[in-house]
Amino acid sequence: MPSSNPAHPPAEAPAPSSDPPKLTGPELKKAKQAEKAARRAQAVLEKGQPPPAAPRTSTAQNAEGGKAAKGQQQRRVSNAAAPIKNMPIRSQKAQPVVEEPAVEDKTVEVYRHLRKPRTTGLAGANKDVHSAVLALGLQMSDYTICGSSARLVATLQAFKKVIQSYTTPPGNTLTRHFTSHVLSPQIEYLSSCRPLSISMGNAIRWLKLEISKVDIDTPDHEAKNGLCDAIDNFIRERVTLAGRVIAGSAAEKIRHGDVILTFAKSSVVQRALVQAHESGKRFSVISVDDRPLHEGKHLKDALINLGMDVTYCPSAAMSESMKRATKVLLGAHAMMSNGRLYSRAGTAKVGMEANTANVPVLVLCETIKFTERAVLDSIPHNEIPPADELALFGGATENWRDIKGLQLCDPLYDVTPADFIQMIVTESGRVPPTSVPVLHRLGNESQV
Amino acid sequence: MGHQDPSSSSPSQSHPSSSTDSPSSIVKTYHRLLTEDPELTMPVAAIEALILLLSEVSAETVYETLDLVKTQSDYLKSQIPNAISLSAGTDLFQRYLLSSLNPRNTSGTFESVRQHLVNNGRLFASRAKAGRDRIAMYGRHIVPEGSVVMTHGGSRVVGALLSKVAEESASGEIVSFRVIYVMNDARSSESKAVVASLRAKGVPVATIPEGAVGYAMGKVDLVMVGAEGVVENGGIISRLGTYQIGLLAKAAEKPFYVAAESHKFVRLYPLDQFDLGFDQEVINFTTNSGSEPDKTPTKGSEKHDYFSTAALSHAKPAVDAVDYTPPGCVTALITESGVLTPGAVSEELINVWW
Repeated sequence: MPSSNPAHPPAEAPAPSSDPPKLTGPELKKAKQAEKAARRAQAVLEKGQPPPAAPRTSTAQNAEGGKAAKGQQQRRVSNAAAPIKNMPIRSQKAQPVVEEPAVEDKTVEVYRHLRKPRTTGLAGANKDVHSAVLALGLQMSDYTICGSSARLVATLQAFKKVIQSYTTPPGNTLTRHFTSHVLSPQIEYLSSCRPLSISMGNAIRWLKLEISKVDIDTPDHEAKNGLCDAIDNFIRERVTLAGRVIAGSAAEKIRHGDVILTFAKSSVVQRALVQAHESGKRFSVISVDDRPLHEGKHLKDALINLGMDVTYCPSAAMSESMKRATKVLLGAHAMMSNGRLYSRAGTAKVGMEANTANVPVLVLCETIKFTERAVLDSIPHNEIPPADELALFGGATENWRDIKGLQLCDPLYDVTPADFIQMIVTESGRVPPTSVPVLHRLGNESQV
Repeated sequence: MGHQDPSSSSPSQSHPSSSTDSPSSIVKTYHRLLTEDPELTMPVAAIEALILLLSEVSAETVYETLDLVKTQSDYLKSQIPNAISLSAGTDLFQRYLLSSLNPRNTSGTFESVRQHLVNNGRLFASRAKAGRDRIAMYGRHIVPEGSVVMTHGGSRVVGALLSKVAEESASGEIVSFRVIYVMNDARSSESKAVVASLRAKGVPVATIPEGAVGYAMGKVDLVMVGAEGVVENGGIISRLGTYQIGLLAKAAEKPFYVAAESHKFVRLYPLDQFDLGFDQEVINFTTNSGSEPDKTPTKGSEKHDYFSTAALSHAKPAVDAVDYTPPGCVTALITESGVLTPGAVSEELINVWW
């Protein structure tokens, strides 16, 4: 790792210097160029500027080091003179860097590939991004709009506004212009605020297809209205009605005297519980919740307001509660095609506890959340929010960046093995985890 | 379940002009069909009864027909204490009607579809029987030479399968596999009939009581059972006692095969034993020491007796009771469309119902 240890390059230096210099014409030219580059680098350093963006030294140094190293180390055999001249400069530079504690990489290694800076403000947003999408992006990045279904609906509503405010430029057609020039910047901006959910990905794929199906001779307003209607229908069919069907189907499975355990908050699970309650069934709910989002609080409050019997418990204390539970109802962020459930971090633990206690686990999930992707664990695909979100203000981790050797690990999702899941309740029926690819094919790909 | 709205059911029940189709007639037809043909399974009998009903009444519109079939199916289901197997047939038939009466799918008129159905009423039954033969064909690959097969209950499919294997593998007098048959006291005459027929084919059969299943499991190479219904997740609804055999087979790592026709696939998804949609009264807590249920002798080996006495089943629980064997215990299902993993059942059902 060149970034974490800048003291290495000087150690390597003697090796190339011992090689005898045999210079040919082009090589001489290269050497001169390298020398120039090195001098420039030195000039920059002498101004006393520390590398910009101290926490992200890996990228900063790679870029800088790359520039200098390109000329030297790759052709080390030929232009031995240049490195010798250059190396002392580099070691001079290394001195102040070593003293800076900020060089320490605070990201957890297994998740490093997922860490992305998040857009949390309007600065730097593409000028083509519609105001409704700008607002939505901010709401997503601070979790005001949170949850796969809510984000999906909000995104489609915002896209409707984008479509409505769009006029096809002269000499273009909506079919060919809109997706690439208007829709893409919106999507790009949204995904920079928070990675797109699986359901959003499915919906965007559908929307692009709808747009491509618009006849190029259709008048603008007609095409736009048609697309907006299609979006409304999509939301109604795939989210609203689907949610209602799932809630009804799951509520049927709740029996008198049941103890339903649920984790965090899912809108469909909430609806199922409410529906079962309203149909006169008497049962109690254990709401298991966890940091940092504490979504279960909202569920607990909503259920208590209806007069239901709720136990609110942190996930650390779940194993006792699990003994009382008769069914576990879970929401989903996505269902993977190998039957695994991708959901809020902590769900896998609930699944495991339920499996150990022999309590059936029901996943409530619209087919729009199904994906063809197959994952084995939560490492290749996940979302890592900025670590500061996890830090407890006023707690021991408040100044965690200053604590040497401390890293905060906070993936938003985890993956629950299919073996822990007894049933997936979808709007197309109740299916075992093995049927996810079939429903995905029929529901999400038949239209594509 | 389904329609509880009396307004929707009363007009269609009262509608047909003739008096032959009073609500009870479908039940009578159903029982008659089962009596006449002991080879008939419950779902097929239900389908045939519905077709006979269609031929007798004069429903003139698609909606009328569908409504009639639905109310009659629901009535039939309500009259049978354990309607799981039956509902597989009625649901399939309704689904078939829906798709074939859909004007977009059919080239003919409503009347021609109806005529076609009525004329080919026996087709379902003959296909079902052909299906059983095909399942028996697969048995050869499932039951290796020299193996010991454990089975129980009076499943016709398993009977046909084992007979077929016996016929094919017989070299001279000796059949190359043996059977351990788990006897159920409450249904001993049925069990004896199966055992006798297997022995007649030269298959060495050992009979053991249900309590000896765990003891015998070590000698068993594979377990083969039938099913009343195959549920959506690939689990099965079968004669009480199947679940425990499945659990013991799983504990002993023995393969557990289910032989069942695909018309037994039913849209039901139980989570546990008590989620079957009807009460079985297998477990009765009491402090009255004299009320131990006596082992009621069975009423003969024929299937229809099961139903004619079914109305009294509250008095003698556990005889006709079923249990649910979860898909985790099932190695594979042998159906006429191939040997399926439990997960494939759901796919098949989705393909039918989508």
